[in-house]
Amino acid sequence: MAGGASITIDRASKRFALAGSSEGVLALTDLSLEIAPGEFVAVLGPSGCGKSTLLRLVASLEQPSGGSVSIGGAAPGLVSARHALGVAFQDHALLPWLSIHDNIALPFRIAGRRVDEAAIARLIELVGLGRFETARPRQLSGGMRQRASIARALVLEPEVLLLDEPFGALDAVTRRQMNVELQRIWSARQITTMLITHSVDEALFLADRVVVMSGRPGRIVREVVVPFARPRAPAVMRSEDFHRLVDDLTAALEVPEPESSPPTGGEAIGSVTA
Amino acid sequence: MTAGARNALLGAMGIALFLALWETIGQLKLAGISWPPLSAVLEMLTDEGRRPLFQRALVATLQETAQGYLWGTTAGLALAALAHLVPPLRRGSDRLAAVLNSVPSIALGPIFLVLLSRDSTPAAVSSIHVFFIVFVSMGSGLQRATPAHRDLFAVLGADRLKRFWRLELPAALPALASGLRLAWPAALIGAIIGEWFGASRGIGILIINAMQNFQIVLLWCAVLLAVGASLVFYGLLTLLERAAYARFG
Repeated sequence: MAGGASITIDRASKRFALAGSSEGVLALTDLSLEIAPGEFVAVLGPSGCGKSTLLRLVASLEQPSGGSVSIGGAAPGLVSARHALGVAFQDHALLPWLSIHDNIALPFRIAGRRVDEAAIARLIELVGLGRFETARPRQLSGGMRQRASIARALVLEPEVLLLDEPFGALDAVTRRQMNVELQRIWSARQITTMLITHSVDEALFLADRVVVMSGRPGRIVREVVVPFARPRAPAVMRSEDFHRLVDDLTAALEVPEPESSPPTGGEAIGSVTA
Repeated sequence: MTAGARNALLGAMGIALFLALWETIGQLKLAGISWPPLSAVLEMLTDEGRRPLFQRALVATLQETAQGYLWGTTAGLALAALAHLVPPLRRGSDRLAAVLNSVPSIALGPIFLVLLSRDSTPAAVSSIHVFFIVFVSMGSGLQRATPAHRDLFAVLGADRLKRFWRLELPAALPALASGLRLAWPAALIGAIIGEWFGASRGIGILIINAMQNFQIVLLWCAVLLAVGASLVFYGLLTLLERAAYARFG
């Protein structure tokens, strides 16, 4: 039951203005990526490689400096305006003054739609927060807040789900649990999903396809189709194939960065070659 | 003993020491005749015969202060919200508020006297003080929403008004509560200064009369009344502020 819209990133680039530099900083260059409806793609890369910028382009939080980004053929801004994007950040971004229930109901209120209590109840159950509906975010653990944040991202049945390192701030054990949870939650919906992460395990366990980015400026250096059948049990992570792919992707991540002089304008950017 | 209890005890000891010092200096006339002992002040303050006088003054000043507080808060909130929602107005309104604040209220008094009635002047001066504090605290409070929350609202497709009601306004409440707490003493000072321009009664009038007739003890009674009126409401507003931080902070 694959659902959602496709995401098309066509030769997108993003340049940020930087004081004292006429060129600015090139965060992404000539990046193309196509995500099919219902596909789960993980974008893997070291910090500062521009992977979050890529997500922000799809989320309509930034505009590309060159190239184009579209969701189901429409500009991300239009998709956002019709309340069809779901998003979860590393910072859970729950409103501290609302209960968990009201935080999950927030997208309905922002969209000006009737709050669908049945949908909220189902999602709260799905993410395992059944007893905590009336709790406030600060009363919950980091893992529980992220579950609430993912429930909030899903509550309007979005066309695409954007996950920006949602478990980046969690400890390793909780993170693995959350990966298993997310896998289960996602299997129930199968919405087009873009996950930004720097964890190789996380990317391989969750995604249909893993894209490896390299930094300054950000571009795709490797793509791997993940062969494991769904639903995936945590045991997958102990298989030999999994380890081989982990090694493979870890090696791709460690591609030495090109020598670059300090960012004093165009020179550093000019010296970068694909 | 908990830290809270120890702080309370130290605080009480400090106040007791201060009051004892006041009494001693007064009794021994160390600071001359203009420093009466605390007991003499309290005696006059609790004197049955003078009760109607103090009561009238206190009620009048509290009424003016409350009125000015209400006007100033309403105007400050309205202008801060308007400036926030209509960005072109932002710089102009900041300037206006800064200019209003830079004019000493003692200079504004005569203008209000001309524009308004004698009895409205205290509330008007008071409201100017409150307006500035509420405008500034609300304006900065409306900027308090975190970047992550702003991103979330943007991705979810919130329009400006939805963002204001559901994010920026609640996030502004702690800062606003701090402003409301600080605005009360300022409102009281404004009312007392306003009374000096010819109100018919109030603590300010009591102060002027006591000064002109060299009734030192009466003067100190008026000061104690003003301090009491300030502290009681300041304390209540501190509780409000704490609640706002606990819920919205």
